Amino acid sequence: MKKILLLCLAIFTTASIMAQNQAVTGKVTDEKGVGIAKASVIVKGGKTGTSTDENGVFDLSVPSATKAVVISSQGYNVNEVTLTGAPLHITLLRAVANLDEVVVVGYGTQKKSVVTGAISSVKARDLENVPNGRIEQALQGRVAGVTILQNSGQPGSGSTIRVRGITTFNNNNPLWVVDGVVVDAGGIGYLNQSDIESIEVLKDAASAAIYGTRAATGVILVTTKKGKAGKFSVNYNGFYGVSQPAKVLDLVNATQYATLINERSVAGGGSVIYNDLSSLGKGTDWQKAIFNNSAKRYLHEVSMSGGSERSTFYLSVGIQDQQGIVATDISNYNKKNIRLNSTHKISNIFTFGQTLGYTHQESIGLGNTNSEFGGPLSSAINLDPTTPLVVTDPLVANAPPYVSNPVLRDIAGNPYGISSVVGQEMTNPLAYMKTRLGGNNWSDDIVGNAYLEAAPVRGLKIRTTVGAKKAFWGSKGFTPVFYLNPTNSVLRNNYRKEENKGFNWNVENTITYNKKLRDHDITLLIGQGTYVENIGGNVGLTIYDLPISSYKDASFRFDIPVTNRETYGTDFIEHRVTSLFSRLNYSYQDKYLFTGIVRRDGSTRFGSNNKYGVFPSFSGGWNVNKEKFWTSNKVINSLKIRGGYGVTGNDALDDFRYLATVVGGYNYPIGNSGAVTTGYSPLTLDNPDLHWEETSSADVGFDAQLFNAFNLTVNLYNKKTTGILRQVVIPGYVGVSDNPWDNVADMKNTGIEVELGYRKQLGDLNLSVNGNVSYLKNTVTYVAADTNFLTGGASFQSMGAITRIKVGNSYNGFWGYNRLGVFQNEAEIANYKNKNGTLIQPNARPGDFQWEDINGDGVISQGDQDKTFLGSNIPKYTFGLTLNMEYKGLDLTIFAQGAAGNKIFQGLRRLDVLAANFPAKALGRWTGEGSSNDYPRLTSTDPNNNFNWMSDFYLEKGDYVRLKVLQLGYTLPNQWLTKYGVSRLRFYVTGENLLTLTNYTGYDPEVGGGVFGVDKGQYPQARTIFGGLQLQF
Amino acid sequence: MKNIQLNTALLAMMLSLGACKKDFITIQPRGQFLSENYYANRGEAYSALVAVYDVLRKNAGGFDNMVTFFNAGSDDNFAGGGGPSDGAGIQGISNYTLNPNIVPGSFWNDHYQGIFRANTLLAKLPGIDMDAAEKSRFTAETKALRAIYYFNLVKMFKNIPLLLAPLTTAGIYDVTQAPPAEVYAQIEKDLSEAIPSLPTTLTLSKEAGRLTKAAGQAMLGKVYLYENKGALAATQLAQVNGTPGQANQYGNKLLSNFSDLWMFTNKFNTESILECYHTNQSNADWGFWGSAADEGNTVNQMVGPRSYSKTAGSPAPDIPSGWSFNVFTQEFYDIIKTDPRFGATVLDVKAYASAGQAIYIEGYQNTGYFINKFIPRRADVRTGGGALELNFQQDDYIIRLADTYLMEAEALGATGTRAQALLDAVRARVGLPSVPVTLAAIKAERRLELAGEGHRFFDLVRWGDAPAKLGSRGFVTGKNEILPIPARELTATKLVQNPNYN
Repeated sequence: MKKILLLCLAIFTTASIMAQNQAVTGKVTDEKGVGIAKASVIVKGGKTGTSTDENGVFDLSVPSATKAVVISSQGYNVNEVTLTGAPLHITLLRAVANLDEVVVVGYGTQKKSVVTGAISSVKARDLENVPNGRIEQALQGRVAGVTILQNSGQPGSGSTIRVRGITTFNNNNPLWVVDGVVVDAGGIGYLNQSDIESIEVLKDAASAAIYGTRAATGVILVTTKKGKAGKFSVNYNGFYGVSQPAKVLDLVNATQYATLINERSVAGGGSVIYNDLSSLGKGTDWQKAIFNNSAKRYLHEVSMSGGSERSTFYLSVGIQDQQGIVATDISNYNKKNIRLNSTHKISNIFTFGQTLGYTHQESIGLGNTNSEFGGPLSSAINLDPTTPLVVTDPLVANAPPYVSNPVLRDIAGNPYGISSVVGQEMTNPLAYMKTRLGGNNWSDDIVGNAYLEAAPVRGLKIRTTVGAKKAFWGSKGFTPVFYLNPTNSVLRNNYRKEENKGFNWNVENTITYNKKLRDHDITLLIGQGTYVENIGGNVGLTIYDLPISSYKDASFRFDIPVTNRETYGTDFIEHRVTSLFSRLNYSYQDKYLFTGIVRRDGSTRFGSNNKYGVFPSFSGGWNVNKEKFWTSNKVINSLKIRGGYGVTGNDALDDFRYLATVVGGYNYPIGNSGAVTTGYSPLTLDNPDLHWEETSSADVGFDAQLFNAFNLTVNLYNKKTTGILRQVVIPGYVGVSDNPWDNVADMKNTGIEVELGYRKQLGDLNLSVNGNVSYLKNTVTYVAADTNFLTGGASFQSMGAITRIKVGNSYNGFWGYNRLGVFQNEAEIANYKNKNGTLIQPNARPGDFQWEDINGDGVISQGDQDKTFLGSNIPKYTFGLTLNMEYKGLDLTIFAQGAAGNKIFQGLRRLDVLAANFPAKALGRWTGEGSSNDYPRLTSTDPNNNFNWMSDFYLEKGDYVRLKVLQLGYTLPNQWLTKYGVSRLRFYVTGENLLTLTNYTGYDPEVGGGVFGVDKGQYPQARTIFGGLQLQF
Repeated sequence: MKNIQLNTALLAMMLSLGACKKDFITIQPRGQFLSENYYANRGEAYSALVAVYDVLRKNAGGFDNMVTFFNAGSDDNFAGGGGPSDGAGIQGISNYTLNPNIVPGSFWNDHYQGIFRANTLLAKLPGIDMDAAEKSRFTAETKALRAIYYFNLVKMFKNIPLLLAPLTTAGIYDVTQAPPAEVYAQIEKDLSEAIPSLPTTLTLSKEAGRLTKAAGQAMLGKVYLYENKGALAATQLAQVNGTPGQANQYGNKLLSNFSDLWMFTNKFNTESILECYHTNQSNADWGFWGSAADEGNTVNQMVGPRSYSKTAGSPAPDIPSGWSFNVFTQEFYDIIKTDPRFGATVLDVKAYASAGQAIYIEGYQNTGYFINKFIPRRADVRTGGGALELNFQQDDYIIRLADTYLMEAEALGATGTRAQALLDAVRARVGLPSVPVTLAAIKAERRLELAGEGHRFFDLVRWGDAPAKLGSRGFVTGKNEILPIPARELTATKLVQNPNYN
């Protein structure tokens, strides 16, 4: 009955339109003024409508009685506009949670509303306002559950990414899959941020299991941009910026230094070393010599995209260059990239597509960016301020070591100062820089894939994909004759290069079948893949005694005798994986969702007894708001509850670990020529039972839309890795030089992830806020039957290991002595007794640390007994917050991120270089009763090992919040531009790393690397101000 | 068109489906060998023998080497270095605070690696098709090397497992320590069996560095001396020594000029009996420093003064800088100051520095007196690949003729005309007059003759003089005569820690 009534109504309205009509024209744009194509414009309360053209323009004839039109487009909030007779300008706001948005899930896509796994997405629009950098940086702070710490502020350097904590003792890098091609984590820097359409992080086993044996550490899927049919556009983006250090360390000046050295020497039984303090002044500020306050950075990129119903394309080219803020002459990065992606509909059945990117990168680096063994930073921190930067006094310059040695000189011919008290690897950084000029590291990456897809019948897709990565990379460098100090001198110049090439390829065949039967929606994927990686090798050549003195003249064309040439080279070992995989998605009325995955992988890295592993997972979801009992309300607009469980693997370990091999390298010189004779011996005991590490993870969570403005996602997970591969420490008397591998240890990660989005329009002001917070707890649960810890991880010079893998603690937690304070007087030493009444530290002096007697045996022993867990280097909390505001043409982006709950080891001062410079906090050392309870007395012998022992003295809290991006932009009004054919012109100013809130006293609280939080004078991240413009045709 | 596309797709599918087989994911290692196929011919046996020789480098190769470590434990030298924490092991033996956690495990491990390789080769040699005479020489060398490694182990750790065949995975944790006498018996047996098949002389161009009969006999004599089997020791050593001052039956003879012993080019000279061979041709670098592929002499780098340079026109030597380990004690300096061997033994940088003729950074425990025997020479600085610090090529003597003279004199009970003649020959070489032979005279002579060569600590322990001479350093009788067994060896094993180290 109702239906008939509606029908009648429809006929009536149509009839009345025919009777009396009015013309309505207008343009539908997004918040940025870009036209939205294919938006639907429908008469309010009616059926009459049209859709916008590629520029967002529409022209519609409506009944004269029409008061308003309703405009909608997928992914945007619906807007209703009252007719005024004038042309309409309609802005659509992006929907707070676009449940119809498509998420890439590996071998396919899914609507967000039916996804059952824990997948986080970052879309191109989220990255638009972020300065183009490396992809890891684009992800930092945007995805809950992913910890990202930059390894160095050296331009172009990578970051360490950990998805849901530390999964294994081995390689923890996630699996990167770019357009279906597996790309090694080290090589991911080739990607150009602007080419990225979306990044999906598969965090839980339920979604990652489709990548089986390589998914345990998380999977990051990168999809590059494609053209869109019917719309041709050209985009230009460019910026120019200036970088500077955000902070320098507070070190003592020459007078303070001499005072401390004198005090230290006398306390150790020596004599006063500097008699005339007043003449020293402030001395040399070595940091000032290496930091650059105006390092330059620029970028230009142009992209073009478009297409027809038959073919689409996306083409981009870009160049960027970035100078480092430390020792700029030897710190630079340059990248050039070009990409072509296209798709072609060959027939009604066949579609062909391809992606192809080529990137050339070139960089020059400091050598050491976080090391106690030299380099500009470590030298600047450790060199004494009493040595001049440049020696101008002719009496000094004409005496040793400046005469009779090939010392380096400035433009005026004055020698760079050489410290007579601080030696070893610590050298004048200005002179050091001159020895590395002209060197570089370079790479050429060509990554692409091609697919052919057939859709012979409705719902069925058969697809074959071939992907490949060809990479060339290498380095070259010239070392002149030099004398930096007595231990750093080169008497023959040399010129060297190394060239590597590598090739990876894979073939994947998939069949997807989708069938809808009334309320049942079933999608079945079956697939097969073959992956071959690491085909290639390297060669290197060094020539000596070139008849030149400058890197500018260096060439391999010089006729160098064979005795002055050295070469080396090797072949890489292939890694092959073959796989079969399948996924079933089932949904009932989009209400009850189920996903099941199983993947079987075989790998070259495992023994004959365990060549294949099987990885299953399943997950379910419940869209509660689709239930009949659900009543529409203003508080909770939608709610999906999810849960899943799955198992993934990790085969990232060395090849042939299961075989008993005899290898060379046990050499001895025999015969009087001094030539080395190669000896062969078994490497280790074999273990044919080696198998995958297995990571099982359980995940529960929900996605909700609240108050029509908030979008909330919460996940809880529990991830457990068992059978972690590690070298089993066997007794030395067995006599093998390498310990055998076995599946031994277990580790656990638990965490909570919250992502919250908010979007609101207040008049002309558009506001959106996106935030995320994650909590992570990592615990080692088992290492071996006979011990509860393993040493290793990070070490610091003569201190040895400073971290330990211990059951019950976090992976590679800091390990050492615990201080109870500083002995203020003899009485405190005399009172520090064990239960038998004997002194615990009988040899201590006032001003020494009081160590905690952890095992309570009444002595502080140098072994293990009195060391304890001192803190975790893994941030317990990571968070990010993005705020976007738009008001008319103005836009503002604020992006902040941070981490908390971790400790940082700050080892800046060399222990064996007694005369190394001091941090300013040494001025607050213990000098008498009550003077300090934190910084001990200075003495050259250090009998209490105040400085020599790893203790909490070296640890600081690593909490920080960083204002990563602050951007202000202005988009010129459309009407000014259209006559020039310009559809959009935007200017912007960006500040990067403008502010870091932290109590950490080092350069930068973000200390990445294989073991987090070990700061030996890390190259800090730059603070940069850019100006740029975006232009669209 | 459609067909071509289809065919391509099918081809790709077949290609990758074919790749599904197990063969595809089994790759054969290249550039290395499988244990089951190796040891098939003479060439492979020789390579395996070289791997047994490899461990001889432990005497002076790597940071933890026998020479600097045991020098630091003697009354002649301090640990030195850059600071009190520069090398926990070497500092630990110098001030007698070694414990199972800081004793360098490589002193244990490296020797057992040599033993493992020797045991593997000895098990394989009978089945290898090669010339019988050469096979018996290989066997002799392997047994002698195994004996040398066991001797080092037993004198350092005393209570050690005695393994004569490679362990299987299943048997790893059933091993126990053997009584020291049993270990010594095996060492005697190995050397005695080896000596007949060791060559009397070597073709140096092809064989320099390999063991000779003299080396086997000297080693056996030394072993007997350590067991207090004086008569047996004297008999073996007499074979090596011949007529004091004259060339022995193999052509060995004391060098006439003491300082010539320390010229890095003077390899395999007539005084050398058992020599640890170093070269700069391994291009040693920090990445494999001290490992099996490093053939440089690390002692050279360790004992040099820190950040040293001579001033213009001064008479101070122009030498590369080092790390200032093993500085001589003032006490030793005072004893050797007037000895003719002073100049070759001690580099008195203190004197040059105070005269303004050289500058250097004073290291830890600095006295200014450095071991000139091992101070690297400018001409020996590597100019090719590898780290220049790690490519010094001076060989070091594990046993030299002056040592065997003094050992035989001691084995003879420090009495009699032959003992007198042996002592006199050592003194006469450096222009010193005869002194009546006594044990005290021999001890004094050994100290001066062999200073800085890593012998003194073991001599003091052997003579029972260690408590008196080293007590002030912290030496504890009944404990510090031997090293603690590295902690890792006690984890889950049946091994027992040495007395008083728990």
